[in-house]
Amino acid sequence: MGEKKIHEDQKYIDGLLQNNAFIIQAIYDTFVPKVVNYIKQNSGSADKAQDVIQDTLLTIYNQASQKKLQLTCPFDAYFFLLCKRKWLNELKKSSNKEVTINEAELSKGDEAQKLAFETSVFDEKQALFTEMFNKLGNACKDLLAATFKIKSMEEVAKSLGVTYAYARKKKSLCIGKLTELVQKSPKFNQLKN
Amino acid sequence: MQDENYILFESYLSEMLSTDEILAFESRLKVEPELNQAFQTYKELSGFLEHKFENEEASKVFQEHLNKISEAHFNKVKSITETKGTTKIHPILKYLVAASIVVLFGIFTYNQFSTPSFSDYNNYETISLTVRSGQDKLLKIAENAFNAKDFAKAEEAFSKLINEDKNNAELKLYRAISNLELDHFEIADGLLEELRTGNSAFKNKAIWYLGLSKLKQKDYNAALVILKSIPEDADDFKQAQKLIDKLD
Repeated sequence: MGEKKIHEDQKYIDGLLQNNAFIIQAIYDTFVPKVVNYIKQNSGSADKAQDVIQDTLLTIYNQASQKKLQLTCPFDAYFFLLCKRKWLNELKKSSNKEVTINEAELSKGDEAQKLAFETSVFDEKQALFTEMFNKLGNACKDLLAATFKIKSMEEVAKSLGVTYAYARKKKSLCIGKLTELVQKSPKFNQLKN
Repeated sequence: MQDENYILFESYLSEMLSTDEILAFESRLKVEPELNQAFQTYKELSGFLEHKFENEEASKVFQEHLNKISEAHFNKVKSITETKGTTKIHPILKYLVAASIVVLFGIFTYNQFSTPSFSDYNNYETISLTVRSGQDKLLKIAENAFNAKDFAKAEEAFSKLINEDKNNAELKLYRAISNLELDHFEIADGLLEELRTGNSAFKNKAIWYLGLSKLKQKDYNAALVILKSIPEDADDFKQAQKLIDKLD
């Protein structure tokens, strides 16, 4: 088997990545009403749907820019599954309501399921990484921000008033600290499995 | 995990180790699962941080833009449902409503049997081009001119922009529309034809506008042929079908 064929709906992913008004509008006109209906029929409201959809599009944007997301199934199925998953997680968080979904009706082939699952894992990891980054001390946060924004370690050292060797070492230790925080979190171990 | 290991990870990732050191490190990864796991997480976090800080601004701009479109979409939907739900007609108003219907029916019938024209269709939605930070003033000029229907100025800006960014299909579409408005059919049709045969997201839009261009040029047969080629899943399919009915 060769490489998987990229679906023609990749144009929606590329459009999001380019912040293309035409494409974003088209997504809202074409794919959003179905999601809104689903959420309304499952203990939600239009306002809730609006948030879920916006979050989902942001996740897709992030995955596309960070991991070069390639769509191998129709956008419709992929987007719907992601919104659905996000909404069910919301419901689980806010109450203990039992939610029944007809999986057979919703699943649009393995490819969409697989891709939506990967994106969900990506999303949860991003959230976990952000949460743990915020737990770091200010010295580490500032140093890491400077390191990744300025790029040249010499300049970073200069801007922080420290030596080059110290800045390099400190960068390793700060990411090391973050690595430990992430590895210790129970959520991380769930995501790995 | 010891601090030295993190320093080693960083040196490895920033390619600062010698060949011998690389080999030694890679063979340790194979036999020390704990080290390997810490390294994989370190690497992933390094990628996360890189993206987080490098794309902070672009991501913020995207979120703001998305928010704008989302608000507009949901407000539109809300206002439609609210009007539907709360309309109550005062008895006296009924006569007025009845009278209006007669007038509307007259207009509708008139529209049905009169030849459609380009001006029935040239209501463009506001365009938004300057969504990414650091983009130049010219985009803003083009966007403002287009939205203010100053198509001569828009054309000037779009043609300069396309010179810089020769493969940008979105700019080409707006430039074509501007030229269509200015009656520069040769330029407009050329651009639309190029988009029509291409594979961009604007392919179907281009077919629709190419049809409208022929309509404006009163070449009704050509307009019909082109409009009939709009696929069913295109945004303008329904509108095109109505226009086809009027022209046929």
